[in-house]
Amino acid sequence: MSNIDRRSLVKGSLAAMMAGAAISRAAFAQSSEPILLGVSGPLTGPNAQYGTQWKQGFDLALDEIQAAGGINGRKLAYQFEDSQSDPRQSVAIAQKFVSDPRIVMELGDFSSPASMAASPIYQRGGLVQFGFTNSHPDFTKGGDFMWSTSVSQADEQPLLASYAVRRLGLKKLAVLHLNTDWGRTSRDYFVNAAKEYGAEIAITEGYIAEERDFRSTLVRVRDANPDGLILISYYSDGALIARQARQVGLKQVICAASSVYSPKFLELGGDAVEDVHVGTRYFPEDPRPEVQKFIAGFKKKYNGLEPDAFNAYAYDAMNMAAAVVRIGGADRKAIRDAFTKVKDVPSVIFGAATFDVATRRVKGAMNAELVVRKGQFALWDGKPT
Amino acid sequence: MSSWLDYTINGLIVGNVYALVAVGLALIFGVSRLINFAQGSIYLVGAYIGWVAVVQLHTPLPLTIIVVAVAAAIVGLIIERFGLRPLQNSVRIAPLLATIGISFVLDQLVMLTFSPNPRALPSQLPDVRFQVGGGTIGPLDLLIAGVGLTSALLLFVFLRYTKLGWAVRATAQDRDAAMQMGVDVNRVNQAVFGIAAALGGVSGLLVGMYYNQIDTAMSLQATLKGVVAEVVGGAGNVPGAVIGSLLLGLVESYGVAVFGTSYRNLFAFLLLVVVLVLRPNGLFASARQAPPEPLTGTFIAPSRPVRIPRWALLVAAGIFAILPFFPVSFYVLQTLINAWLLGMLALSLTLVAGTVGQVSLGHAALLAIGAYTSALLSLTLNVPVGLAIIGGGLMSAALGTLLISPSFRLRGHYVSIATLAIGEIVSLVILNWESVTRGPIGISGIPPLSLFGYDLISPNSIYWFSFAVMVVLALLQGRLLTSHLGRSFRAIRDDDIAARAYGVSLNRYKSLAFIFGGFAAGVSGGIAAHLYSYINHETFNTQQSILALTVVILGGLGNVVGAIVGAVALVGLPEVFRIAAEYRILIYGIVLLLLVRFRPQGLLGTM
Repeated sequence: MSNIDRRSLVKGSLAAMMAGAAISRAAFAQSSEPILLGVSGPLTGPNAQYGTQWKQGFDLALDEIQAAGGINGRKLAYQFEDSQSDPRQSVAIAQKFVSDPRIVMELGDFSSPASMAASPIYQRGGLVQFGFTNSHPDFTKGGDFMWSTSVSQADEQPLLASYAVRRLGLKKLAVLHLNTDWGRTSRDYFVNAAKEYGAEIAITEGYIAEERDFRSTLVRVRDANPDGLILISYYSDGALIARQARQVGLKQVICAASSVYSPKFLELGGDAVEDVHVGTRYFPEDPRPEVQKFIAGFKKKYNGLEPDAFNAYAYDAMNMAAAVVRIGGADRKAIRDAFTKVKDVPSVIFGAATFDVATRRVKGAMNAELVVRKGQFALWDGKPT
Repeated sequence: MSSWLDYTINGLIVGNVYALVAVGLALIFGVSRLINFAQGSIYLVGAYIGWVAVVQLHTPLPLTIIVVAVAAAIVGLIIERFGLRPLQNSVRIAPLLATIGISFVLDQLVMLTFSPNPRALPSQLPDVRFQVGGGTIGPLDLLIAGVGLTSALLLFVFLRYTKLGWAVRATAQDRDAAMQMGVDVNRVNQAVFGIAAALGGVSGLLVGMYYNQIDTAMSLQATLKGVVAEVVGGAGNVPGAVIGSLLLGLVESYGVAVFGTSYRNLFAFLLLVVVLVLRPNGLFASARQAPPEPLTGTFIAPSRPVRIPRWALLVAAGIFAILPFFPVSFYVLQTLINAWLLGMLALSLTLVAGTVGQVSLGHAALLAIGAYTSALLSLTLNVPVGLAIIGGGLMSAALGTLLISPSFRLRGHYVSIATLAIGEIVSLVILNWESVTRGPIGISGIPPLSLFGYDLISPNSIYWFSFAVMVVLALLQGRLLTSHLGRSFRAIRDDDIAARAYGVSLNRYKSLAFIFGGFAAGVSGGIAAHLYSYINHETFNTQQSILALTVVILGGLGNVVGAIVGAVALVGLPEVFRIAAEYRILIYGIVLLLLVRFRPQGLLGTM
């Protein structure tokens, strides 16, 4: 007993104190430091609008998650890094997130080049890259840390084709599509399905995202003499095409992919988008409680602003992230494994969302058949326009 | 057959839209010999001021136009007074770069004020339409045509019959002589900027009404199309700009008619290259215009380069080489990897733009050629990655030089415009040549970097690999510049006529420079392809070309060390400003402006 000298006593107590400090710091972290998600997306540059829309959706979801007690008592938060959707910046952000132990998973990026350039880094770093706008067919092939709630175009486009061909009875179609990986993939799925349903494809025209003038394209369309126009577009170019189609005298039925679903489509299109048919993944009058909660919450938080599809993707993505983190905790690998375990997460886009473990995507997008009537999206009543 | 009438009418309508921008560009070029890259941003500002007037203040159309014209003119005067006038006695490239910086600042200010979401800008004209051919024409189409033609006509009258107009023309012909004759050159510049900005603002308003939408990304496209139209018509020639715009509209429209929509811009830029090759000064260049002196060294700042002692370079290289042994984060290493890749591109550009005087605005095309070649070689032919990257470099050297060779007979600004067009053409060919490039789907699953069978996937190994490649290329280039060949290159830059008189074959030496530069850029693109594992036609875009030029000018034209310092600075700055989120590009633009203002010859000076 007497062998215990003062020095070792001091050492021992110091060690004990430090251990105590470490424990209390860990406990502190457990209780009040938020669980942090990394977001890589555009806040400046040509795609800046989508980053802004993401933030609106994220913030609304986080308000609700926090109000419901957070993740097992801890808050959920995100750190948004501006990539401009540029692959050079998204890879640097990926390294930043991977080496930051506070980040438990990543959301984004917006475009395929930016997202897929960063995938190898997330995969090697063992950090989930959760892409919720990444419909490129190869995105989830980047590795088992790539997961996506972006609706597979293999799912969505046949639904649009069915709306146009079987329900609206269009037999000879002109397809105008954004000439990007998304637009091209969508077009191929649409064309295959439409042919299967017995329609003829009179012409397909791909245009680049910066294009503003479609008059000459529409003359080509007119000369192909279709009975329906299919737009695989975003809301801004979709509205432009519809306007110019009416200006050059095309009176055919227009049927557009869900990506035009936005109040902005009505604002930018004006009278020209009246009677445009839209197959969409959600619409405000959908009585499902998750949709109504989302819309009411969104309008309340943003002074009556109507949400659109990109707001909804971001909102759903944050809720999905919360569900996954609730199971996986703050451990990156456990979070990856949690994606295989989450079941029936309430969502605006999919209803009850569950991942297909083989494709690492969610299946079964909801589809509602809408039409623009009196400047508003409305459920299609089955009557021809 | 009746459709041809429709294609013609559509071409003329969109040509009118281009004319609104091109006229302002032509006016400024005529007087200042400056391609004003901020013209698109003034157009953007005009559109948003118009939105405020129409939607918030409910002004009637004539008043809206006046409000927009006056406000845009004020913006133009501010740009001229505070952005460009201080640069009057510095190198030609300084104001050019300043306009790029100003456009960053203006675009970001508009975006921060109005949010990046597109807005509807309702037309204030009645919505009646007249049947013409198979299509229709509305009052707004006519108003746009009217504004385009009237402003061209008014400008013509102003330049020919008014005293201030004479002063403008005198200044355009010979600035120094005009000054000696008592022309207040500053007042002339102010007048020109005010008029051009007013036109730019009104064009933004009208085009916004025409499409019923405005968004903050519309300025770059407007500038690009405006520049093409202006140069086709003959840079600095106002009526020429209108005719060039109409021609551009027609070519695009007929291109769509014959080949389909996805080829549209391809024909626009091909038209530009063809016109430049056949008529290097545009279709309607005025013969009496004196060529700027000196002919090719237009962009070069006379300066004493900063000589960095050899030991300092060795120490710096040594520190960077052992950096991964220190506790630096992978994020820092990845940022530096980006800097080394940009450094290789900058080496390439500083050689052709700085040493030989051929300013290229399409250098991203060389990256793309190298990247696609390397990716396809390794994916489809199973060539080892190391060899595939060299293959990418060689392909960029060969194909790049071949594509750019038509521009060898051009001078000054025309070289940069031609290379800009070639950059766009390469990108559009990649988009459309699906059997080889897989079109918009892009190439995914590109194997990671590897060397002699060892995969380089850790950030450390990628860092060392890219750093080593860049150092080797830089050493080779340094050796090249001190050789006889390097002296011939600089001779071409400083005075091509004298060089030719001394028996220097211009085309051969320009080719040599592009071959060497193409190789460095191609290697950079190849490494990037294997680093990213996925590339498509948007990976290497115009913004990348502009960034490369900025790097080279920042570092000092022709300066090998400067190119690398510039690359580190310009990759680093936005990362440093990352905490500023939405404001970072604004800050970046301001920093760029300050650099141009106080150090136009670049950080390390021109070699």
